[in-house]
Amino acid sequence: MVGVPVQIAPDERVEAVEETSLGDPWVTIVWNDPVNLMSYVTYVFETYFGHPHATAEKLMRQVHEEGRAVVSTGVLESMEVDVQAMHGFGLWATLQRSGQ
Amino acid sequence: MRGFKVRQDRFVARVDEGERAVVASVVADVLELLGAPRPDEEPAAADRTAPVADEPGELPRLRTDTPPPPDDPAVLRLLPDASRDDPSLAAEFRRLTEDDLRAQKVDRLERLWQSLTAPGGGRRHDELVVPARDAPAFAAALTDVRLVLAERLDVHTDAEADAMYAVLGETPPSSPAARSDHETRRYLVSVYGALTWLQESLVVLMLADARRGHTGTPTGTDGTGDVPGSG
Repeated sequence: MVGVPVQIAPDERVEAVEETSLGDPWVTIVWNDPVNLMSYVTYVFETYFGHPHATAEKLMRQVHEEGRAVVSTGVLESMEVDVQAMHGFGLWATLQRSGQ
Repeated sequence: MRGFKVRQDRFVARVDEGERAVVASVVADVLELLGAPRPDEEPAAADRTAPVADEPGELPRLRTDTPPPPDDPAVLRLLPDASRDDPSLAAEFRRLTEDDLRAQKVDRLERLWQSLTAPGGGRRHDELVVPARDAPAFAAALTDVRLVLAERLDVHTDAEADAMYAVLGETPPSSPAARSDHETRRYLVSVYGALTWLQESLVVLMLADARRGHTGTPTGTDGTGDVPGSG
């Protein structure tokens, strides 16, 4: 179900595939909730992931309107770092294998 | 209460004494939920010395056991499962991260509580001054407090969040028990609403600040820029 484009640079994609050696990376998903402010979610996506404004706002809208968005992709260990960071910000994030 | 404004490298809001007391009390409640001591109570002597099994802050950093998910849904919202469909993955993640995450949240809430109860640095007695470098932690602590309030108000959807404010305009019920519930709900909703408004006023400024500092960031070529004539 996770067929949405993932916002990573091409070189990061290559690195992720090499590290897993299976070409089967993991994704971090952020879920919609009624508490987090749209401005705050945008702030988190811009400052933590370093997304440009437009990308951060697009991801925020996707979370808000579709209920969730893939916010990062890579090896499991990297996704654990991202999920923990999201939980630190108060966003609800989960891990799963890409393509599930 | 007046929302945040920028003053040099600080964000300054105005929160009066009564409002501070209400918010500080709710912050102390959230600290207690996370297993931390209430900052508004002197610890009993026994609490300071006796190790308590359920106090993750007292445990070594590297866990070998796996902490169970919190029973209280409000605590679960602060320390959520990292997988919806893989309990072993969620358990392993909890074992690796929960203590650090809990300690981070406790630290930020304690700082929020201190800024509410020991104001200083402002020109007026009701000023709440947040240095720019502390703003992310301050905003995150406000989020955690709002998450707990929303859980206590049974607000789980965007529609429920929009509907909850109706209680503020309703006539209190006549029966004493129902009136008490109504008053409690009104209280929680009004605190939630005030904190939402306060947080929004801060985050808008933080976002503007972050964007000013991002001028050197390459925007990439992912097609989201929609530059006319570029495609």
